[in-house]
Amino acid sequence: MTDTAPGLPRLGTTLFSLSLEQRQPGRDFASLVNEVAARDLGPGLEMVAFQSLRGWPRLSDAAVREVRGVIDASGLTPSCLAINNDLGLYPGRLLSDDESYEYVAVQVRGAAALGFPVTRVGVETGPAILERLLPVAEELGVKVGVEIHAPLTIEAPPVASLKDLFTRLDTEWLGFIPDMSSSMRAVPDAVDDAHRAAGIAPELTALTKELWAEPGPTMAKFPELERRAAEAGANPAQVGNLKMMFTMHGKMEPERWADFFPHVVHVHGKFYGVVEGPEGLTDPSIDWPAVARVLRDQHYTGFISSEYEAHAYSDRYNAFDQVRLQHDMLKSLLEAEPAVAR
Amino acid sequence: MGPLDDQVVRADSLTATPDGLDIAVYSHWYRALPLPSLVKADLTVDGERIEPSTLSVTVNGHRYGFGELAEHGDEYWFTTDPVVLHVPVETAPGREHRVQLLLGLSIPYILTGPDRVPLVAPSSTDKTLTAAGASS
Repeated sequence: MTDTAPGLPRLGTTLFSLSLEQRQPGRDFASLVNEVAARDLGPGLEMVAFQSLRGWPRLSDAAVREVRGVIDASGLTPSCLAINNDLGLYPGRLLSDDESYEYVAVQVRGAAALGFPVTRVGVETGPAILERLLPVAEELGVKVGVEIHAPLTIEAPPVASLKDLFTRLDTEWLGFIPDMSSSMRAVPDAVDDAHRAAGIAPELTALTKELWAEPGPTMAKFPELERRAAEAGANPAQVGNLKMMFTMHGKMEPERWADFFPHVVHVHGKFYGVVEGPEGLTDPSIDWPAVARVLRDQHYTGFISSEYEAHAYSDRYNAFDQVRLQHDMLKSLLEAEPAVAR
Repeated sequence: MGPLDDQVVRADSLTATPDGLDIAVYSHWYRALPLPSLVKADLTVDGERIEPSTLSVTVNGHRYGFGELAEHGDEYWFTTDPVVLHVPVETAPGREHRVQLLLGLSIPYILTGPDRVPLVAPSSTDKTLTAAGASS
């Protein structure tokens, strides 16, 4: 496996990047893992448990052995298992705190059985549940990280309360998982394909991108987007799709990721496409040079899981090829200067 | 919205059975969802609206009434598996049907608004397809 130099963040892939490939005829879990390894897109391997593992969250012993066997044989290193707190599991009510704790704790135990050192939960898993999970995490040696994903930014109230919790507990077993969807510099061009397929006029896509790029908090721009899109003839479903661009693509300055340290347990290398520019490989929608600088300055040596998400908008690109390009770009950015000794 | 919408009902999704039309439906969400997440199946076949209460659904080899799905929160619809909607309309192998389906999946971990209501992710299909014969 190609790895970055010692003292630097390590690269990897989440199988979520391969959501469309997963559905191709003849594909199975082993073939996806093996192709990640064969294309040298490790060493880290992440997956969404509910996406990749049939029978989750109650895997049989035989299924655990089989999954571990596939990962071991591939030579990849388990980096993070994304788990879910399905609070809205039943119609008309949310899970109680006890139910929610149990729902997540079972999955943290499952991650330990599979050999993953980190689990990812969403921000719906609040401080009270996280504090209850801490003894489980400690006992199993599995970290629980809360993903900071668009529309969340450093300013979001849940982030402050999580930071307070991690500081108060002073533990390495709970922390943050930054996802670059929160700190984008442009709406990705891949949305053009999805909007075209949904019958949204290119002028409306352009208008939304323009409003997104203007200064000011994104949430405050919703009324203007709704008004102008309706004036331009968008139907309610199309307005919903346009609003999703504001929700899925955050505008926090990438330098602000430094404020999440020292509580970062894993990083999601979210991206929507890397292209060859005049000065080499570049990501038009995410400022990776700035992100790489933060991670290096913070002496982060955990994994960056490449998370290609343009498949939600377009099937025009090969996800394996895209992750390859992102790895080449990241390796060169991270190794641009000698690593600082810790 | 996205490439998976086109795969919700596929070219080979229709099967004629002695009891009616079976429609294999694939999820447009990227992960397995608990069965209560299947909250909406607004289905029209050849212009005729099908009452959801008349539908039954086969998932993981079990057949449930559409309304019963809400009780099976401990069972999951896996990412790559179809569920089969059993539709009480007359058909025969080789017959063409126009299938219009608005599928709504309740996403149990994405809570929206001040009341923290799960997001319902819609996917809309309008296809005219030929029913195959049921294999014995």
